[in-house]
Amino acid sequence: MTPPHDPAAPATPRVPILELRGISKRFTGVQALDDVSFELHEGEVHMLLGENGAGKSTLMKVLCGAHTADAGEFFHHGKPVVIGGPADAQRLGIAVIFQEFTLVPYLSVAQNIFLGREPRGRLPGLVDHARMRREAQAIMDQLGMTLAPDTVVATLGVAQQQMVEIAKALSQQARIVVLDEPTAALSDNETEKLFAMIETLKRQGVAMVYISHRMAEVFSMGDRITVLRDGKKVGFRMPGQTAPDELVSLMVGGKVDMSYSRTYCTAPGEMALRLQGVSARSGIQDVSLEVRAGEIVGLAGLVGSGRTEVARAIFGADPIAAGRIEIFGRPQTGGPTQARRLGAALIPESRKAQGLALIRSVGENLVLASLPRLFPRGLFSPSKAAAQARELIARLRIATPGPDRRVGVLSGGNQQKVVIGKWLSAEAKLFIFDEPTRGIDVGAKAEIFSLIDGLVKKGAAVLMISSELSEIVNVCDRTYVMREGRVAGELARDAMSEEAILTLGMHHA
Amino acid sequence: MHEMTVRAEPVEGVGKLTARLKHAGSASGALMMLIVLCAVFAFSTENFLDGANLVNVAVQSTILLLLALPMTLIIMTEGLDLSMGAVLTLANVVLATVAVNTGGVSLALLAALGVGLAFGLVNGTLVSRLGIPPFVATLGTLGAAQGLALVVTDGQSVVGIPASVQMFYSGAFLGVPAPIWIAGIAYALFHVVLYHTRFGANVFALGGNREALTLAGVRTRLYLVAVYVIGGLMAGLAALLLTARISSGHPTAALGMEFDAIAAVAVGGTSFEKGKGWLLGTLIGVLAVGVLRNGLNLMGVTSAVQVSAIGLLVILALMIDAFRGKQS
Repeated sequence: MTPPHDPAAPATPRVPILELRGISKRFTGVQALDDVSFELHEGEVHMLLGENGAGKSTLMKVLCGAHTADAGEFFHHGKPVVIGGPADAQRLGIAVIFQEFTLVPYLSVAQNIFLGREPRGRLPGLVDHARMRREAQAIMDQLGMTLAPDTVVATLGVAQQQMVEIAKALSQQARIVVLDEPTAALSDNETEKLFAMIETLKRQGVAMVYISHRMAEVFSMGDRITVLRDGKKVGFRMPGQTAPDELVSLMVGGKVDMSYSRTYCTAPGEMALRLQGVSARSGIQDVSLEVRAGEIVGLAGLVGSGRTEVARAIFGADPIAAGRIEIFGRPQTGGPTQARRLGAALIPESRKAQGLALIRSVGENLVLASLPRLFPRGLFSPSKAAAQARELIARLRIATPGPDRRVGVLSGGNQQKVVIGKWLSAEAKLFIFDEPTRGIDVGAKAEIFSLIDGLVKKGAAVLMISSELSEIVNVCDRTYVMREGRVAGELARDAMSEEAILTLGMHHA
Repeated sequence: MHEMTVRAEPVEGVGKLTARLKHAGSASGALMMLIVLCAVFAFSTENFLDGANLVNVAVQSTILLLLALPMTLIIMTEGLDLSMGAVLTLANVVLATVAVNTGGVSLALLAALGVGLAFGLVNGTLVSRLGIPPFVATLGTLGAAQGLALVVTDGQSVVGIPASVQMFYSGAFLGVPAPIWIAGIAYALFHVVLYHTRFGANVFALGGNREALTLAGVRTRLYLVAVYVIGGLMAGLAALLLTARISSGHPTAALGMEFDAIAAVAVGGTSFEKGKGWLLGTLIGVLAVGVLRNGLNLMGVTSAVQVSAIGLLVILALMIDAFRGKQS
């Protein structure tokens, strides 16, 4: 699509400070980056856009040397260079400000800025604290920071920690700074300070790659915009020559729909789940939503928009600060035990960590949540448990030689079925799926969806969290879209499209 | 200009100290416990506050301090060294054996340090290179060291320790008991290493954010091994004081001493997470354990009950910290 010499490029051909040509990176089963080329000039803010999983993080990790590219070339001021590890990236003046900070909590601001590069004192091995403090102060002055260099980092807020992170990058003579959604955790006031800092850096000729999901920033801060999708570069634009709509459609693209369809729900039954103005310290605010029996309702939104936190609040895993949660008309005020009693089941995102005892057998896992129902007198009967397990294995068509097989050796799709079976056995009627198809191959996905469809056809209610927009569009009867902890909107079956979801999920103006 | 910065140093030093006090505020829990313990024993026993007894508490705490100092660093890296008591025991019987046979200190001390170095290297390698959890790795070496101590001595005590060894515990220099000198110098060295060297900053980072250290191009595994090696070497040094104190080598001499060391570090407010540590807190913790044992001795409480009391002390100190943490 994009010609090699883009007409949008500056008229006077400058030598870019960094150029990537044909970068590819493959992980088992996923082509994370596919022939990506990218130019970065001094003093520019280059916006990088893409859906979850488009390859932004991988590109960033390749830049800082955390991953090594399988193919492709790097040019620094026009000269070919190799980025084989963090040391190479540092030498080239590349610094990445991750969302997860690389700060040591119980060292001072100055010590963090100079970690691993502390100025040497007069005796071997000693650190020249006075000089370190002075130099840290100089860098912080340059950035307009008002922190004392001796402040312990653990006492700082997120915004200040981010500033320290940027100061650390600059102290390494960074000329290329990669910012990964830098405003995600900042208040409006803090964001303004950050933008002022970015302007200062631009004037000093620092080149920045800026990853963002917020359209307003993309247009107000960006000098140029690159869009990634499925590991490929799908677009390159100047902010003045494009509009949010175009960028969204580039991000979504004409993706081949995973051709899954079902008979959608026309007559929803009783109210299975109702949230009214639910807020929690985990970051969700004023969330209201409803799920009725017979429905599959989607919960879409970008990573970090609060989807999982909603699921955890419903299940009582995180306490709520305000609002009301009802499951089948009865208030959910307790923890996971009460949620289970009210008929709710949470199938978590990380099956291995939260949903299954991997070294135990298929049979044991299947009856784990229904022990009180199967054995009301507290006496375990292996034959009764095995019978229940065999019934579920047959019903869900779990590919295992028998109930005695260890769960850990099954495929991802079959593990997912075991988790579902576990809750079927517990006679749950409200299922909350968090990324039900993560790490599952295409064939198994269809099977999981027909299983979920089977659940609602039998009168269960399903709330499904997914980052795969096509899944939401294909499978759900309705969907809610989350943005920054709030429900940004609700889409009915015929209003649902990937563009519509993404438009709601991204931050505008 | 240079002189000016040198002169400015003390002022900045004070600022730094208050910062350090602030972030290690949890250690005030330890200070409170120490004061309460002293008050309780001052009232409930006749001679706790005697000058001689207080010196006795200090002298008896020196061996524990030599173990608790490196234990602080190890715990700050989110690690643990359960083998320290057993390594100290093995170093004790080796030092005693060599001292009895050579009649001098130097070779004996070298042998003890050699034992510590070897076990420190093994612990560090298991933890950093092979990724074995510190709890399991050092539990294994605990067994190995304890077993070796029994094999070397055939279960018997080694007696006939020369006076040149004994004076390291009973002697004095400028009126101050020798073990206090040794422990004091060790404390000063650890302070300089932890707060004024790159090595120290790296210890904070090993537990606080190991990824950050790797990204800064520091060879993290090397430093992790070094921390365990320091633990082993300090156990070897502690063997000199222990042998001098009990005038023998005994295959169960320091049985369970790692418990006291870990307890002192925990009481002192060093956290098992995120590289939050405080050396002065460890000193306070060591004194709290020492005062508790001494006071209970004066009251005629058996050693077995003392272990329970130390356990309670740890739980109380951590409860105070948890409570304060919730408040702030």
